[in-house]
Amino acid sequence: MSAEKTGSVLVVGAGIAGIQASLDLAESGYYVYLVEGSPAIGGTMPMLDKTFPTNDCSMCILSPKLVECGRHLNIKTYTCADVVDVQGEPGNFTVTIRQRPRYVDVDKCKGCGECAEACPIDVPSEFDQGIGERKAIYKPYAQAFPNAYVIDKENCIECGACEEACQAGAIDHSMEEETIELKVGAVVLCPGFEKFDASKLAYYGYGRYPNVLTSLEFERILSASGPFQGHLVRPYDKKEPRRIAWIQCVGSRNCRVEHGYCSSVCCMYAIKEAVIAREHSKEPLEITIFYMDMRTYGKGFEKYYERARNEQGVRFIRSRTYEISEVEDESKNLRIRYAQEDGSICEEEFDLVVLSIGLEPSSSIKELGRKLGLTMNEYGFAEPAPLTGVGTNKPGIFVAGAFSGPKDIPETVMQASAAAGASASLLAEARGTLVKEKEFPPEKDVSGQPPRIGVFVCHCGVNIGGVVKVPEVVEMAKNLPNVVYAGEYLYACSQDSQAAMKQIIEEYDLNRVVVASCSPRTHKPLFQETVREAGLNRALFEMANIRDQCSWVHMHEPEKATEKAKDLVKMVVAKAALLEPIPQVSAGVTKVALVIGGGVSGMTSALSLADLGYRVHLVEKEQQLGGVARRIKQGLKGEDIPSFLSDLIARVTTHPNIQVHVGTEVQAVAGYVGNFVTTLTDGQEVQHGVAIIAIGGEEYKPTEYLYGESDRVFTQLELEEALAGGDPRIENARTFVLIQCVGSREPQRPYCSRVCCAKSVKLALKLKEKNPAVNVFVLYRDIRTYGFLEDYYLEARRKGVVFIRYDSANKPLVEKGDSALKVTVTDHVLGVPVVIDADVIGLASAIVAPESNRQLSQLFKVPLNEDGFFLEAHMKLRPVDFTSEGIFMAGLAHGPKNLEENIAQAKAAAGRASTILGKDQLESHGVVAVVQQDKCAACLTCVRLCPYNAPKIRNYAAEIEPLLCQGCGTCAGECPNKAITLQGYKDRMQMAMSRALFREV
Amino acid sequence: MIIAQQKPIKDIAEMIADCKKVLLVGCAGCVTVCLAGGEKETEILAAALRIMRRLQDNPLETVTYVATRQCDPEYIATMDNLVKDVDAIISLACGVGVQYIAERYHDKWVVPALDTKFIGGSKVHGVWEEKCGLCGDCVLHRTGGICPIIRCSKSILNGPCGGSQYGKCEISKDVDCAWQLIYDRMKALGRLDKLMEIQPPKDWSKSRDGGPRKAIREDVMIG
Repeated sequence: MSAEKTGSVLVVGAGIAGIQASLDLAESGYYVYLVEGSPAIGGTMPMLDKTFPTNDCSMCILSPKLVECGRHLNIKTYTCADVVDVQGEPGNFTVTIRQRPRYVDVDKCKGCGECAEACPIDVPSEFDQGIGERKAIYKPYAQAFPNAYVIDKENCIECGACEEACQAGAIDHSMEEETIELKVGAVVLCPGFEKFDASKLAYYGYGRYPNVLTSLEFERILSASGPFQGHLVRPYDKKEPRRIAWIQCVGSRNCRVEHGYCSSVCCMYAIKEAVIAREHSKEPLEITIFYMDMRTYGKGFEKYYERARNEQGVRFIRSRTYEISEVEDESKNLRIRYAQEDGSICEEEFDLVVLSIGLEPSSSIKELGRKLGLTMNEYGFAEPAPLTGVGTNKPGIFVAGAFSGPKDIPETVMQASAAAGASASLLAEARGTLVKEKEFPPEKDVSGQPPRIGVFVCHCGVNIGGVVKVPEVVEMAKNLPNVVYAGEYLYACSQDSQAAMKQIIEEYDLNRVVVASCSPRTHKPLFQETVREAGLNRALFEMANIRDQCSWVHMHEPEKATEKAKDLVKMVVAKAALLEPIPQVSAGVTKVALVIGGGVSGMTSALSLADLGYRVHLVEKEQQLGGVARRIKQGLKGEDIPSFLSDLIARVTTHPNIQVHVGTEVQAVAGYVGNFVTTLTDGQEVQHGVAIIAIGGEEYKPTEYLYGESDRVFTQLELEEALAGGDPRIENARTFVLIQCVGSREPQRPYCSRVCCAKSVKLALKLKEKNPAVNVFVLYRDIRTYGFLEDYYLEARRKGVVFIRYDSANKPLVEKGDSALKVTVTDHVLGVPVVIDADVIGLASAIVAPESNRQLSQLFKVPLNEDGFFLEAHMKLRPVDFTSEGIFMAGLAHGPKNLEENIAQAKAAAGRASTILGKDQLESHGVVAVVQQDKCAACLTCVRLCPYNAPKIRNYAAEIEPLLCQGCGTCAGECPNKAITLQGYKDRMQMAMSRALFREV
Repeated sequence: MIIAQQKPIKDIAEMIADCKKVLLVGCAGCVTVCLAGGEKETEILAAALRIMRRLQDNPLETVTYVATRQCDPEYIATMDNLVKDVDAIISLACGVGVQYIAERYHDKWVVPALDTKFIGGSKVHGVWEEKCGLCGDCVLHRTGGICPIIRCSKSILNGPCGGSQYGKCEISKDVDCAWQLIYDRMKALGRLDKLMEIQPPKDWSKSRDGGPRKAIREDVMIG
């Protein structure tokens, strides 16, 4: 291996996985090349309406990440680009990129959309799944980064209308393909997935019947940014449907079309779509979901399912749908023929049928995998190296997201952070060698100076200027108090305008700057950077949104829009006069991690961080490392767990950067991100910058099914141990009964334990492998062998394992018989009780949160969910973070997961932690809340309400830690004595704005 | 602390219907902590009254002030110069504050904006519960730290009564039976025998029954 490693990483695919991996790497000190095939970053998430299980708007939660990724100094994004080749070795790869022509200069294009207005060609919109239309020159979606248009040459007639319309001169029809060569140290592959082509299953009528849609098409119908602005109508006749059916497993669990695997996400997205459809519908809506097994195995999913079924009136029919036909009238309604569980055939009519299509690898993904020599599974997905979470057979190449199998957003994000962490560990010595840092001139002291405000009004091409009379706004602004300069700009955000702005700040000695243009969401950071480059504090800048909130919404009333634009500018200028510089607070970082829990998750996190060069304290309450994994003999794919574990323990205990504290727990925690001081029960005091909580879970001790009363009733882990240990009770048994959902999906524990179905299937296979003559029965409620685990389920059935479904209302009965255990269960097909004489019973008992979770949650002041597991900052996009910065979680402490998933999560926690440890200084988020302590009544309101644990009471008054404060303003709003103010949002500023609004100029 | 809650704004407005200019005085003590009369509530009430009166074409001028505590005369004195030209003073303190203000400014119309509810504490943010009956002769050492005077609806000393069912008081299924709580706690502490001691009738003269009370610490008094 060559001596010098390259401190940059190639990330392929810019969906949520690629974005997350890029951000984590860039924040950890690595330069990132993000390569995306389509014209914009974002992937599939922007197309989705809401996300389960929180019903957050997908675009709303993604959009800040798009902005952050797009603006990051250390992420270079190539869109319309493909990876052609990767050569070299870990630490030193040479990557060849093919940059396809966009025909629009990304730097010049301001995304104003005039070109598309002029374009005469309509094309079905890919983003809207073909339901809506776009032009031959288009921007994939409103919030896209780059915020630039692209020409689809296949449909372009080269009429030149766009070129004529573009005032920025951004269009260049002569662009040609380029080849780019990049040097990187590691590669993260997250190219995502393709949707299954439902027309391959002729019996569902997709493509033939207009009222049969795919689930992604339905997402676009529900979306407020979709073709019908969120009105729930059928694309066929724009009528509101009354009866909608979802059909599950379309292109999943279907061996006939070589899609034997489960797509893992469809059950939840179908329920979500059903629930949201009901919310969108003014009239009562009948909703039916036809399914085989309801696979709501993720965190919070089972409750979502229960709510949909019991409270939101969604009808679930366990069945196999074998035909959809069209009603022969104008309505073009659909008739679904399906077989119920007892074999009887039913037929029902629906206005709309949604096919829950599965996920598959695209042909280009398969091609890429082949080119790189990656091991791919039979379905064409990447096959990760066992027990690595994100590794591949090619060292230095990592995978994340659906590329390695269908998975939902949080798992994708976890894997992305894990792949980022793994790449970072590999390139530890090259960290910080290629990242750029922005240098700014010193800040001018403006204190005591009367305000000198400059107002920059933007035309945004014709976006604003075509409606609002910009010169009038400028003239008005010139006459406002404290304004010493006002001017108009075609695009305030363009390079030349930015340069002009800096010059004018200098020339007019401005000390406050106002830009009247578009949304602060996308552009405020850009302008703030410009004023900072001109030597002004960022807080001396303010924006008026005269586009999104004015010219766009009032485009047919130019007179009134102009008046409104003037009002908006007046208000913001009044506020600007009162702006004060906000000093950035910073603090050093203790580059040490504390990892709590010495199981596989904790050890994996510790090793990842130690490999990155950080010192790690690993705290384990038992006398030895290993946790629950010590009882596991075989992984779900047959991996040898004992040798994996002993190897892991050896690496941890011999690592020079890891100090292991066994037989120890956490006693007290003080400090905050970057600077924690934790006291252990052995009296040691540990200083650390981050903490990872990975204290694992426990196996539920059943009280049901004669557990504890008969020595032939085992839990899953006990059965595995007995099987491996050659226990005679197992050796001599002829009939095994495995009972699922013992203690899970029950009123007192209403979550699914996720791993038990696959585990029982594997145990059943193991028993059959040892002796094919034994009888194995699995009694289940839904078999939840998601992803490729479905293959084992199929294999078990082929090998004669008998699966009998039971209802929660009619559970199996276990009684002591004369020689054996008598199990009675009602067979779901025959509808009659079946009696099995079992020699051994295995109980798939729940994974429960340990009692110590509660203790740790109080010590670190981090929340638990209702089930006692730690609650992440965001269910979708921050799956390993707590809202309190600098504290992360991994493994079963977060919720039930299998070993492979725990490993990925542990690496993700380490990856996220390294974004903090990688910095020398942590800076406050700019706008923070401050307490006027003499007014504070120490009432605790702020302490109780702050989502980030930033306020503390010290010396009888509240104090807000600026590094933890996120500037949300909750405390300032709620403080009963108005002792707290949010910088930049003072009462007098708001009052000044209202006064300005009503003042005549 | 003292728990108070704001009166309906209509009632407050009626008390000052004939005034043109009023002073609203918040209190930075208990009522700030129970979110009833701190600076925020004072400003909101002032704005609400102004809006209401403007809509009635009878504008009202307001002045606001927050005293460190309204139950100490020195803190009341700090607002002397604000009081002069107002027609009324609205106190957002407990009943103590209203009276201290009324005592100092005897020619002013002084009205309460709050209803003083009880002595208690916060359970969670936004919920307060009554905990002390101010009986003047504490019995908590006999009842496992649970006050039967105020938490038992009947203030029984040798409880429970026949209305205790499934741990709840007969007045409401939302009210715990204090004596059930006392019993459970004493049992957990292994001190059930203490409950067998019969409590004689309480000397209520130490409570409100003895007329207005005064507490005196001669050792700290000056002169």
